[in-house]
Amino acid sequence: MKIFLTSALLLISAGVWAQDELGPQGPLVKMGVAPVVTVVQGKPATVPLSFRVSSGYHINSNKPKSEFLIPTVLKVEATTDIVIGKTTYPEGQDMSFAFAPDEKLNVYTGDFNVDVLVRPLHSVQAGKYVVRGTLKYQACDNAACYPPKQLPISFDVKIAKAAPAARQNPAQSPHAHQ
Amino acid sequence: MKRNPLILFFVAAIVAAMLFAGIRMARDNRANGPAKGQLMGNLAPDFELPALDGKNLKLSDLRGKAVLLNFWATYCGPCKVEMPWFVELQKEYGPQGLQIVGVAMDDAGTEDIAKFAKEMGVNYPILIGKESVGQSYGGVSVLPTTFFLDRDGKLIAREFGLQSRSVFVEHIKKAMSQGQAVQAQK
Repeated sequence: MKIFLTSALLLISAGVWAQDELGPQGPLVKMGVAPVVTVVQGKPATVPLSFRVSSGYHINSNKPKSEFLIPTVLKVEATTDIVIGKTTYPEGQDMSFAFAPDEKLNVYTGDFNVDVLVRPLHSVQAGKYVVRGTLKYQACDNAACYPPKQLPISFDVKIAKAAPAARQNPAQSPHAHQ
Repeated sequence: MKRNPLILFFVAAIVAAMLFAGIRMARDNRANGPAKGQLMGNLAPDFELPALDGKNLKLSDLRGKAVLLNFWATYCGPCKVEMPWFVELQKEYGPQGLQIVGVAMDDAGTEDIAKFAKEMGVNYPILIGKESVGQSYGGVSVLPTTFFLDRDGKLIAREFGLQSRSVFVEHIKKAMSQGQAVQAQK
C-alpha cells in the first residue's frame, strides 16, 4: 500500500512540476462546442458561441477600462453566402487583482458567451456551411501577463429552404367570360 | 495474477523520469533562442534597438555598468506595478553604476508607449522591442520578464512575472558587485 501511494505521489508531483515548468503555453481560452444553428434562407439567426478562460487567468472584456488594455474581439470572416451581422459581447466583471488592489479591471473569467448574428442570402443553396474566424484575447494572471493570442474559431450554419410563398388565386374579372 | 508492488513503483519512477526529461527537452526546444541554462553566466545577447527619444541604444555600449533589462508591455498590469520601483532604483543606484533599460514588447505604437512611459514618470531608456530580441533571450512569453547583467554584460539572474522590490534590490547589488570593472577597482 505504501509503495502504491509513493508511486502515485511521484507521478502527481511530476505532473505538477511539468505544468509549472512549461507554463501556460497552450491556449488560455478554449471554445466550447458550437451548436449547429438552422437558419432559413434570408432570415437572421443568432449563433451563441461559448468560451472558457482557464482557471486562475483572466482576459480583458470587450470594453476594458483603460486605453492601454487589449479588448477581447471576435472577428468572423466574411462569406459570400452568409451575411455576418452584429457581434454581442457579455458585460465583463469588475475585478481587482493582487498586482493592483486599488484598481478595477473589466474582465472575463471562467465561461462566457459571444453571440453572432448571421443571415444567409435568399439565393444561397440549402445545406451546411462552415463559418470561420478568430477570437483575439490577452490574458493575465495575478503576477504576469501573456502576449495577445488569436484563437481560431469555427461554427456550422445549416441553411434551410424558405417555405414557398402562399399562392394567391388571381382575382376573377367580372368581364372574363363575356 | 499477483502484481509485485516494487514493479509498480519502478514503472511509476520510470514514467516520472521520462516526464521530467521530456518536459525539460520540450521547454528547451520551445523557443528558437537559447535555453535558460545556456543564457545564465554567459554574455547577454547583444542588440541595438530604437529608444523613445529617437536614438538607438546598443546593449554592449553599457559595459562597465550593471544592467536591469526589463521586458514589459503597455497592456501588462504587473509591469505597471514594477515601473515606479525601477524609477526609484535608477535614482538610488544609478550613481553607483546601475542602468535600467525597459524593452516594450507590445503591438502598441510608439506614441502610445511614450504616453504610457510619461504617465509612469519613467527616468530610464525605453526601447521599442522586437520579437527577434525576445527570442534571443529564450523567448519572452511572460511579461514582465527581467534580466540582470553584471558589469561585464554577463547574465546573472532572470525573474518571470511580478516580483517584490527586495528581489530586485538583491539582484541589483549582486550585479553591481560583479565583473572585471569591479575587480579592477579593488
